[in-house]
Amino acid sequence: MSLAIETESLVKIYGKKDSGVKALDGISMKVPKAGVYGLFGPNGSGKTTLISILVGLLLPTSGSAKVLGFDAVKDSIEVRRRVGLLPEGFGFYDHMTALENLVFLASLDGIPPDRRRVRALEVLEAVGLKDRANAKVSTFSRGMKQRLGIAQVLLKDPELLIFDEPTVGIDPEGAAEFRSMVRRLNEEGKTILMSTHLLYEVGMICTHAAIIRGGRIMMQGSIEELYRPFRDAKGYSYEIHVKPGSNMPLQEIRLLPEVSEVVQSNDKVVVVAKKDIGGDLFSLVSKSPYREIVESLTPLNPSWEDIYRFYQGGV
Amino acid sequence: MVNALLIAHKEFTDMITSKRLWLIVGLFLLLSVASTYATSFGFRIAGLRVARPMLTIASNLSSTMSYMAPILGVALAFDAISGERERGTLRILLSRPIFREDVINGKIISALVVIGLTITASSLVSISVSILLHNVTVSVDDISRICLFIVFSIVFSFAYYALSLFISTLFSRSSYSLISGIGIWIFFAFILPIASSLVAIVLLGPPPTIPLFNRTQGGQFGNMSLPESYVSYYRKVSEISSAIQTVSINHHYSQIVNPLFGAAISIGPAGSRVERTLDVPTIISSHAIDLIVLIIFPIIFLVASYMVFTRRQEK
Repeated sequence: MSLAIETESLVKIYGKKDSGVKALDGISMKVPKAGVYGLFGPNGSGKTTLISILVGLLLPTSGSAKVLGFDAVKDSIEVRRRVGLLPEGFGFYDHMTALENLVFLASLDGIPPDRRRVRALEVLEAVGLKDRANAKVSTFSRGMKQRLGIAQVLLKDPELLIFDEPTVGIDPEGAAEFRSMVRRLNEEGKTILMSTHLLYEVGMICTHAAIIRGGRIMMQGSIEELYRPFRDAKGYSYEIHVKPGSNMPLQEIRLLPEVSEVVQSNDKVVVVAKKDIGGDLFSLVSKSPYREIVESLTPLNPSWEDIYRFYQGGV
Repeated sequence: MVNALLIAHKEFTDMITSKRLWLIVGLFLLLSVASTYATSFGFRIAGLRVARPMLTIASNLSSTMSYMAPILGVALAFDAISGERERGTLRILLSRPIFREDVINGKIISALVVIGLTITASSLVSISVSILLHNVTVSVDDISRICLFIVFSIVFSFAYYALSLFISTLFSRSSYSLISGIGIWIFFAFILPIASSLVAIVLLGPPPTIPLFNRTQGGQFGNMSLPESYVSYYRKVSEISSAIQTVSINHHYSQIVNPLFGAAISIGPAGSRVERTLDVPTIISSHAIDLIVLIIFPIIFLVASYMVFTRRQEK
C-alpha cells in the first residue's frame, strides 16, 4: 500500500519535557494515498497538534513523520510545496477581496506572476465563488469563507489536502456541499486527511479513519477494518425488507449457524448473528418461498456512536 | 528573499491604505504647524526677535516628532505578528513553502519604507507650510540639520517599531501588544523623566534654599545670579536623572536632536542671552553614544523578534 503520511511514535509535549502537557503520546499512523482519511477525536485529543506537525508548524518532541515521502521536519518546505492546509477558522485578510487574497497566496505558492490571477479565478470557480471574486472577505458568510479556504488549498494543486475541523460552524447545507466537494477531489485522485469531532462525518465520506483520544490512536484502518472488531464483539446485523403484507417464515433463518436474534416488525426483519452470515443468509433468501417475498437484504453498519463507545471501552 | 518582498509589497499596500496611518500623519501635521504658529505668535506679542527662525520652526517640529514617531512605530507593529495569529492568517502563511524569516523580513522591510516615507514627507510638508506662513529663508546649514533630524527621527520611530514588533511576536492578542507598546512609550516619555528627577532629589536630599531678597532683587529674577550651591545641586539632579534615563530611547533621541535646533533663539532686544549654536559635526561627535544607542536599540529588538518568531511554534 502506497502511503501519503506515515508517522512513527510521534510525541509532542508542550512546555518542559518532564512537566509539560503531553498532546501526542506516541502516534503511529499510516494514511494511504488516494483515500479520505478521517482523524476523529474529541476536542483536545491532539488532532490539530498532529496536523501542525505534519505541515511543519510545530516540531515534534520525539518520533518521526513522513509526508509524501518527505521528512516533515527536515524537508518541511518540500512538504508544504505539495500539501494544502485548511486550518480551523479559515483565516483570511478581511480587508482584501477574495481574488486579492488568492493572488497573494498564489505568489507565495510559487505560481508565476502571469498565472496567479488565472489560477485564482479557476479555483474560485471550482468552489462556486467566482461571482464573488471581487467582494471583500469581510462580507463573506462562514460557509463562503470555508469555500474560499478550500480554494486557497487548491491553488497549488496539492497531492495531499489536510482539512482541520472543516465543518465546524457550517450549516447543514454547507457541510453537505463540503462533503460532496471532498468526494469530488478524492475522485480526482487527491489524498485527503480530515480531522473532525463529528462522528457522522467519518462514516459519510471517509474510506479510512483513526480514532484519537488523549494523544493516542485507539484504532485505525479502513472503515471495514474499524467495523470488524465491533461486529466480532457485538454481532453482525442484517435487515431484510419484505413485500407489504407478506408473512415471512422465520424458522429457517433462526436455524442458521450463529444466529442469536431475529426480530420482525411490519415489513422488516432484523437478524443478528455472532459471525458474518451474509453469504448464508443471501443463499437462503434467494430460494423459495423467500425469493417471492423478499425485496432486499442489507447488512447493517453499526452507528459511529456505538463504534466510538466500543473503542473507548464502553458498551 | 523573493517571498519576503512579496510579503513586504502586500504589507506596504495595507499600511499606506490604512486609516490608522493617515490619522497619525494628519495629527502630526496639525500639531507641528499649530505649535510653530503658536510660538511665532508668542514671539510677536512679546516683541522678541528670532535669530534663526528656521531652527525655531524645526525645534517645534522636533518636539511634536518626539511624541508622534513612537506612536507611528507602535501603530505599525503592534499587530504585525499577533494580528496574523488572531486572524488565523499566520497558519495560512506558514503553510506555504516559505521560510518563517520571509514573513518577518517582509514586515520589517515594508515598515522601514513606510516609516521613512511618512516621517520624511510629514516633516517636509510641515516645514514647508511653516516657511510659507512665516516667510522665512532657509540656509544650507538649516537643510543639513533638518535632514539629520529626519534620519534620527526615522531611526527613533523604527526603534519603537522594533520594540513593538518584539512584543507582537510574544502575544497572541493585538490588544495586549498595543497596550504594552503604548505603556512602554508612556513610561519612557512621561513617567521615567519625572521618576528619575524624584529619585535624584531623594538621593541628594532637599534643595538648598535661596535667600528671599535675592529672588525679588530689583524684580530681575531672570538676571539674578543664583547661589553656587543651588546651581551645583540642580546640576547633580540633572546628572543623576540623565544617568537613570540612559535606559530610555526617548532620552537618547532628545539628547541628539535638541542640539540640532537648540540654543538658536536670542532673547530680548538687548541681545544679552545670545547662545552659540553647535555645528553639526560637533553635535554628532559629542553625542556619539546617543547615536550608537539609537541605532543599537532597534537592532537588539529586531534580533529578539527574529529569535522568538522563528523558534515559536504555531499550533
